[in-house]
Amino acid sequence: MIRATGLTRRFGTRTAVNNVSFEVTRGEIVALLGPNGAGKTTTMRMLAGLIAPTSGAVTLDGVQLTRATGSALRSRIGFLTESPGLWDRLTVRENLTVYAGLYGLAHAERTIDRALEIFELSSRAGTRTAELSKGTRQKVALARTLLHDPVVLLLDEPTSGLDPEVTRTVRQLLDEKRAAGCAILMSTHNLDEAERLADRVAVLQERLLAIDRPEALRQRLTTGRLIVRIAGDASRYVDAARRAVPGIEVTMDGVALAVRLPSPEEQTPTLVAALVAAGARILEVRVEIPALEDVYLHLTQQEG
Amino acid sequence: MRIRTLVTKEFLDLARNRAALLPVVLVTVLSLVLPFGIVVVVPALTGRGLGDDSDLVMVSAVAGIHADLSDDGHVQLFLFQQFLMLFLLTPITGAMALAAHAIVGEKQARTLEPLLATPVTTYEILTAKVIGALAPTLAISLAGLVIYFGGILLFGAPGVIGAMASARTFVLVFLVAPAAALLSLQAAILISSRVNDARTAQQFGVLIILPLTGILVAQFTGTVWLSAGTLAVLGLGLLVLWILLTLLSVALFERESILTRWR
Repeated sequence: MIRATGLTRRFGTRTAVNNVSFEVTRGEIVALLGPNGAGKTTTMRMLAGLIAPTSGAVTLDGVQLTRATGSALRSRIGFLTESPGLWDRLTVRENLTVYAGLYGLAHAERTIDRALEIFELSSRAGTRTAELSKGTRQKVALARTLLHDPVVLLLDEPTSGLDPEVTRTVRQLLDEKRAAGCAILMSTHNLDEAERLADRVAVLQERLLAIDRPEALRQRLTTGRLIVRIAGDASRYVDAARRAVPGIEVTMDGVALAVRLPSPEEQTPTLVAALVAAGARILEVRVEIPALEDVYLHLTQQEG
Repeated sequence: MRIRTLVTKEFLDLARNRAALLPVVLVTVLSLVLPFGIVVVVPALTGRGLGDDSDLVMVSAVAGIHADLSDDGHVQLFLFQQFLMLFLLTPITGAMALAAHAIVGEKQARTLEPLLATPVTTYEILTAKVIGALAPTLAISLAGLVIYFGGILLFGAPGVIGAMASARTFVLVFLVAPAAALLSLQAAILISSRVNDARTAQQFGVLIILPLTGILVAQFTGTVWLSAGTLAVLGLGLLVLWILLTLLSVALFERESILTRWR
């Protein structure tokens, strides 16, 4: 659907984005992670056709984004900017009406009414946006972004400043958009949100450090440790574990045993059986998988 | 269609920010108070008619000799013609005040980026900005002119209003004034899209008024009298300059720089 190929953007001598390539397909959400100044907004702006790459290309359904195709392609893209960017002296409805006009929507009033309804803004339709809270302004900006039913959504921190209830509404909406075949790229600092919502996660720090499914990214950093929670004092079973599989590393991880097994598939049953035989009442056995946050920090710190 | 949408937005915005029109209203009021103060109030207070001043009568001959006008009428005609030039300043002042904020104001309010993300073209944005600033200022200026001519009809000497209804007045009101306003507007918008804050845009914009002020001063001193023909050439010249400036504005409107270099 939307593809970035070798995107590079330099501002004078500073390289903001370096040789970034990825694709967001129909019905997919990709979360773009990266520290401040990593090039997320620049990448989004290039994808939205707002700034041109120094080298590389953006294509939407095979059509390259250029000065000539920009206007037509932008009508298929919804871009939520970092700041809501609402005209303060205009009401919520007036703000949306202007954008409906710019996108040439045929049934503008009906579309606006529906957008207001979705974001529970109907009661605020006549309020000037200067009088709205940060969260409500963000909702209006989101309503504006989705107004023309774009096939590609570029969202710069879509849930920033929203309360948990509205955040959930936005996530549900993005789920619906994904189901409807929309290609969605969202930047976020909320790793939990990325993990919950995104099909794939891209980590950017000037260049693309990684892009994969969240679980695949976590697997990359897996420690191969088995965490065994035992009722009572687990330290009493350290020796039994060492005897069960000779040569393994057994340590205490808080109140649980942490066991590093060379062949977890074969050795886990042996270990568990030995512990049970030694009288341990096992509460939980799980392979330790790092959180997405650990993966993110590992990747970005390694780069730094 | 998109231009109409953006112009509507400009009007809505202006309707909620009427203070932005204060400069143009003040200049209009000044353009009305000054001539009637000098032509009507001062003679009434001093008890001396304008026609009693032989120097003034002599200078006023440049406005043309009308058989049906008294000396008083000739001086009034000369002065009212001179002060008519002030109405050139009205749309220019208004346009400057509004247009200086046009692009830089959008950028500062962070409303420009979402706008540029729509299919709207640079030409459409700039045209809407020009119309959005020009229409209200011309409307105020026109209202001022109606009052001006109404005042001449009421307070002027007999025959002055008839003598004012000349080709010169017509060219000045309907060609030179809008053309000067368009040119200053376009210049202000061009500057507004190249600087970082509205104050700088306004400071640069003031430079546009200087040549016009020069013409006004020259007229008042009697060293220059712009005939209808000269004014028509001036008006057309201003229009040509406006077209060139419009093309330059579109060429110099760098979306990228506006988004990435402004902080």
